[in-house]
Amino acid sequence: MTDHPILEVDNLCTTFSRGGTDLPAVRDVSFALGKGQVQGLVGESGSGKSVTLRSILGLARHYGEVRGSVRWQGQELTTMSERQLRKIRGREIAMIFQEPMTSLNPLLTVGTQLTETLKAHTDLGRRARRDRAIEMLDHVGIPAAASRLGEYPHQFSGGMRQRVMIAIALAASPKLLLADEPTTALDVTIQAQILDLILKLADEMSMGVVLVTHDLGVVAQTCDTVSVMYAGRVVEQGAVRQVLQTPRHPYTEGLMRSVPQDVPPRTQLYSVPGTPPSLFSLPEGCAFAPRCQAAGSACQTARPALQDIAPGRQTACFHPLPATQDNAA
Amino acid sequence: MTQTVMKIDELHLSFPVSRSLLDVVQRKPGKSVNALNGVSLELQQGETLGVVGESGCGKSTLARCIVRLYEPTSGQIHFDEENIFGAAARKDRSYNRRVQMMFQDPYSSLNPRMTTGDILAEALRVHQMRPEAEIAPRVAELLDLVRLPQDAAKKLPHEFSGGQRQRIAIARALAVEPEVLIADELVSALDVSVQAQVVNLLLELQERLHLTILFVAHDLRLVRHVSNRVAVIYLGRIVEIGDSETLFSSPSHPYSQALLSAAPSLDPDDKGAAIQLEGELPSPLNVPPGCPFHVRCRHVTAQCRTAIPELRALEGRGEVACHHAEEINQHA
Repeated sequence: MTDHPILEVDNLCTTFSRGGTDLPAVRDVSFALGKGQVQGLVGESGSGKSVTLRSILGLARHYGEVRGSVRWQGQELTTMSERQLRKIRGREIAMIFQEPMTSLNPLLTVGTQLTETLKAHTDLGRRARRDRAIEMLDHVGIPAAASRLGEYPHQFSGGMRQRVMIAIALAASPKLLLADEPTTALDVTIQAQILDLILKLADEMSMGVVLVTHDLGVVAQTCDTVSVMYAGRVVEQGAVRQVLQTPRHPYTEGLMRSVPQDVPPRTQLYSVPGTPPSLFSLPEGCAFAPRCQAAGSACQTARPALQDIAPGRQTACFHPLPATQDNAA
Repeated sequence: MTQTVMKIDELHLSFPVSRSLLDVVQRKPGKSVNALNGVSLELQQGETLGVVGESGCGKSTLARCIVRLYEPTSGQIHFDEENIFGAAARKDRSYNRRVQMMFQDPYSSLNPRMTTGDILAEALRVHQMRPEAEIAPRVAELLDLVRLPQDAAKKLPHEFSGGQRQRIAIARALAVEPEVLIADELVSALDVSVQAQVVNLLLELQERLHLTILFVAHDLRLVRHVSNRVAVIYLGRIVEIGDSETLFSSPSHPYSQALLSAAPSLDPDDKGAAIQLEGELPSPLNVPPGCPFHVRCRHVTAQCRTAIPELRALEGRGEVACHHAEEINQHA
């Protein structure tokens, strides 16, 4: 963990313009990721998780303004030309998307789509590419891999398609995997299989993973560190165990408590009042203040910065929750 | 207290698949998707029955059959001792009023051109719930019931967030004073913090209005929280049904065991207990013979491949459809 981080995201800001107004989709997101580490980004829809991922890989710059720095093994990605980026995308950094139904080309066979990646990023010959493609499909647990190379995406089920996506992403042995809600569209039994697969591969290939999800259970089971996002900002981050077990930001706590686990059945669940703010009308102070029970007058006017509260643990709150006695840190 | 309001008996439903030209030329027989393969259950007055299962297992089809959106191929549903697919019940609109459905997608289930007030008033008019003069006050009352502001009546659905839209859907269902609510993935499209608000509202309204709820969802934690009893469906068949707490704390069917253990726990230390299921849900186009789960089951024997297990009561537990339920649970 004290390894030199392979990915350093520093004060990443992404802004979209809609009809003359600037929408702050991502604001001041910073995190670092070591080799073989799994970093989670968790938050509700519209909190900027996916845009953060897309900004890292330079996909968001086509429709928005990206500021801040993304350093990949010492190279700055935000200022890199499209041409240079293309060499890194797919080869060093790969991405898998949420919808396995729409991110595969329905007109090309799975084999073509797999070998296409290999052709672009490796100098393998035709035969070697085919062998490698079979090996990858095998690796992600698709039975009878050789015979399925010639099949089209519609002949695969949702879980199998997501496996194909993973196989394509990992074909060129990337060092970083960006996974945008890889299991949201899948059933729990398949979700467990896919997450296990990603973890196993990350371990074998000592690959870093940034996992975007809205499911706190998935975070708890897979990630080493986690950043909780709200309205485009990180409100809390740190080691998974600490963040989930002793949340210090009221929003994290609210999220944890609204999941019905270990509460008497059929009782009222804890719920965070109100709804997440629209990016068009963000509150002036802390974005969570209108829904927060601990909010004071300072929260209405000033925006709390993300500050260290313990080693490796940050929160952005003027009134953080007390650390409980069993806080091991 | 336990009065049966609805009795579902051996419900089968298969959808024919359109034959391709090639099939016709080759004279292949038409195929059909067997969505429901003999579902029987009873809904008790005032309870919440949770229905869980993977996508494609027939949860939503069952819900839609109950509100007569689909007509079953065979089998019956009795509501208040009357067959809802019988000739007498067909003409009778009262069933449509007494059993109301709420849908999953809050964006497509409300007419985008009607204001909330119109949506609610329409339901009241169609079923002649109130004389014309009392409709406006009743709409206000309904908005109050689901805790929406009064000015919501004049707004169009697009002006609301997902959570608020689901409240409108609940208000619309409640407008006609139903006895049974069918909630098909009511909160699945909502964010966690908003989900809790809607679930709380539903629980509170159930208490107040003595509603019977069929709660279809794939979020197991949520189903456990709201249900009195739970039915686990696999390939159009109930594999286990019973008291919610018993079923969740000690599931008896190997499928329920795997399904429940697959839900990721919120505790990072609680790892590795998951029972990994091999493979995926078989296509309902060709349901395996025998026990539908046998292709993925760890405890499979020759008997499972040929004989379909019936639902039978297990001591101290609910009803389970498994040949080997006793042996499996002895080791557990």
